[in-house]
Amino acid sequence: MTTAPERTAPAAGSASGVLAITGFGVLSGAGIGPEPLASAVARPAQPADVSGMFEEPLPRDDAYALVDFRVRDHLGRKGTSFFDRSTSLGLVACQAALADTDLRVDDGNRARIGIALGTTAGSAKSTSDYSRDTFTQERPYLVNPLLFPNAVMNCAAGQAGIWFDLKGPNATVAGGPLAMLNVLRYSRNLINCGYGDALLAGAVEEFSPHSAWALHYAQADDGGTVPCGEGAAVFVIESAEAVRAAGRRPDAEVLATEVGVFEPPGSGTSFTDGLALCLRRALERSGVSASDVTTVVGAANGMTRLDEAEAAAVRAVLGDDVPRLRVKEATGEAFSASGAFQLAALLARHRAEPARDGELSVIVSRSRDGAAGAAVVRGWSRADGDDG
Amino acid sequence: MRRVVITGLGPVSAIGIGAAAYGEALRRGASGVSPIAGFDSSGFPYYMAGEVHDFRPEDMVRRLSVEEWGRTSLFAASAARLAVADAGIDEEHLAASRAGSSMGTTGGESQVLERLTADSLAAGFHALDSGLVRQVSSARLSQAVNRELGLTGEAVTLATACSASNYALGYAYDLIRTGEADYMLAGGADSVHRWSHAGFYRLGALTEKACSPFDKDRSGIITGEGGAAMFLESLESAQSRGARIHAEVLGYGLNCDAGHMVAPDRDSIAACMRLAHRNAGIRAEDVDYICAHGTGTPTNDHVEASAVVDVFGKDAPPISSTKSMLGHAMGAASGLGAIASVLGITGSFLPPTINFNTADPDMPEIDPVPNHARPADIRIAQVNGFAFGGNNAIVILGRLS
Repeated sequence: MTTAPERTAPAAGSASGVLAITGFGVLSGAGIGPEPLASAVARPAQPADVSGMFEEPLPRDDAYALVDFRVRDHLGRKGTSFFDRSTSLGLVACQAALADTDLRVDDGNRARIGIALGTTAGSAKSTSDYSRDTFTQERPYLVNPLLFPNAVMNCAAGQAGIWFDLKGPNATVAGGPLAMLNVLRYSRNLINCGYGDALLAGAVEEFSPHSAWALHYAQADDGGTVPCGEGAAVFVIESAEAVRAAGRRPDAEVLATEVGVFEPPGSGTSFTDGLALCLRRALERSGVSASDVTTVVGAANGMTRLDEAEAAAVRAVLGDDVPRLRVKEATGEAFSASGAFQLAALLARHRAEPARDGELSVIVSRSRDGAAGAAVVRGWSRADGDDG
Repeated sequence: MRRVVITGLGPVSAIGIGAAAYGEALRRGASGVSPIAGFDSSGFPYYMAGEVHDFRPEDMVRRLSVEEWGRTSLFAASAARLAVADAGIDEEHLAASRAGSSMGTTGGESQVLERLTADSLAAGFHALDSGLVRQVSSARLSQAVNRELGLTGEAVTLATACSASNYALGYAYDLIRTGEADYMLAGGADSVHRWSHAGFYRLGALTEKACSPFDKDRSGIITGEGGAAMFLESLESAQSRGARIHAEVLGYGLNCDAGHMVAPDRDSIAACMRLAHRNAGIRAEDVDYICAHGTGTPTNDHVEASAVVDVFGKDAPPISSTKSMLGHAMGAASGLGAIASVLGITGSFLPPTINFNTADPDMPEIDPVPNHARPADIRIAQVNGFAFGGNNAIVILGRLS
């Protein structure tokens, strides 16, 4: 026994652990907002010409990038001049998510509202530019102190906390391709254990020469020709029980998210078996069967070994017939933002197609390094009528 | 809810690798600060850091191929190896269990990114080493732990800057508490790099030779590095396998200043302490020792000390800073602080704040345990972690009695 008095640790806020999404904001290469994303997933458009975006050379001239994006068009000039692209994309997505939800933030609840943003390595460009200055300036320490926070990975989440005055838990989750699934699990724990009542949860990735070359080298190893993507998607996440008890209607419920780490794809069936295990666990936890799943939102990006491992796992658990939603054909390979785009694309389609109300979908993800995961999501439109 | 205990410690630090060496160095008040070897520091006015010169990952990791992983991931995996050995758990059993890892970091593998930046300046983006490019993702820190130990559970890397290890420890505690996992490796890792050395220097936050937290004449931080991993399991599990229990994780608190990216907020930090106490089911007066964030900058130490007085009153418990010995190990800092606190609990001593000369009249209530470790009965320790972005995380650890 410890010497501590009686335990009053946070109790479970929601026995089920089901998360509700009550609003979201998305900026992707398809455009800003859910509508262009839904359209682009249905009918993929060509990537943009990015040859004029940077001074550094790029491996190719096209990407699913927001070429004309300027943060001041969305947040104003004041206070935004030192934001890097990741921070800017993240904050604009947070703003859109807050505008999209019926959750009201005020002085009574802002200490109970937090942020969890996924990333790969923050703004690699900001960190690398800082390094570059130490090599190229007259003296190695002649770096700009005002830009120092940008070089640290939790910049977007920290700035979002400041911008929207949210004092709850503020976390940055570096998961790469798995970032959104990691964020969903981290968020589920925060809400389920009572550390907060709501979270702005999502993932960000900026387009830069660094991300473009990272994809170039990955494709040299693993195949594929999908262009780079960028953007952010942020979801307002609350306890599903609490939302329904308050008579509010969620846009979606995340019934379960399961992740794991296995041998990297390509060496035998270990990775496929691992992803299949995550998928089965997620279905079991959700209390649904494979035959209830109407859509698989995959992570396929043309990298043969990874795509084959993913397809084999999906086939093993769900069979051959479940329709796929192919998000990267519309958004490019956007690393940590890709998982957020998978979820955003699913919700954008629900919003556009009321006939799909209540449908159950599965999101899967995987990484070159052996991480795998799956989430089970039920979505609704915002058409009139009882959606739940 | 299950009770959660720490049964394995894995410090990889500038003052010692492994619990025994680290604990002995803490008692001795050792300094791990030395001239920088990890990068060419010529041209920098200040050139000291808390580097782990003795780090030879090939002596510790068995499954990972050292050349395929960045220094920070290898810190994480090596620390995890040490923690598992210290916990004395059967590795095959562990790998077959619901087990995973939760690791915090500030810079991740940005020393790899820094090398790529140098290479791109020298030869161009088209001539980079694709194996190095692959190492940049910070997700690899926790994945390195899982892959090294053959764990197939969740691996999460929390990149919430300098309080990240506390975030990671808190999350692991919850996963075991709620039954989501049976065993977790939790902690953090970071490496020394040029860009952050330059950034802290330009911010005016770096000091020249020695870090002197809470001293009247303190003048800043020394950057540092290392890895910290703790092995967590339920109390029931530890007892049933007859494990040596180092300490219990009682709870933690998280909040965000939401005010300024780099300047800490006294009221918000005090609020975080109260949250941590409430979540852990303790009162402020139950805390016997505070392992400070204690960066050694004039502002940070004053804000932290003021918040301590706000919460604890004039009878605040001793509060010392391991950063005086280690430098600021960034994302590993609060993990190394947590391990120091656990060693203080089990070994009945207060880790000292070294380089201490003159008490600060602006913080008369503060007892920084100056220069020498002190015998003390620590039943409950509070580990402070604060970060850029106002990301506060405080963990409460207790002795199992």
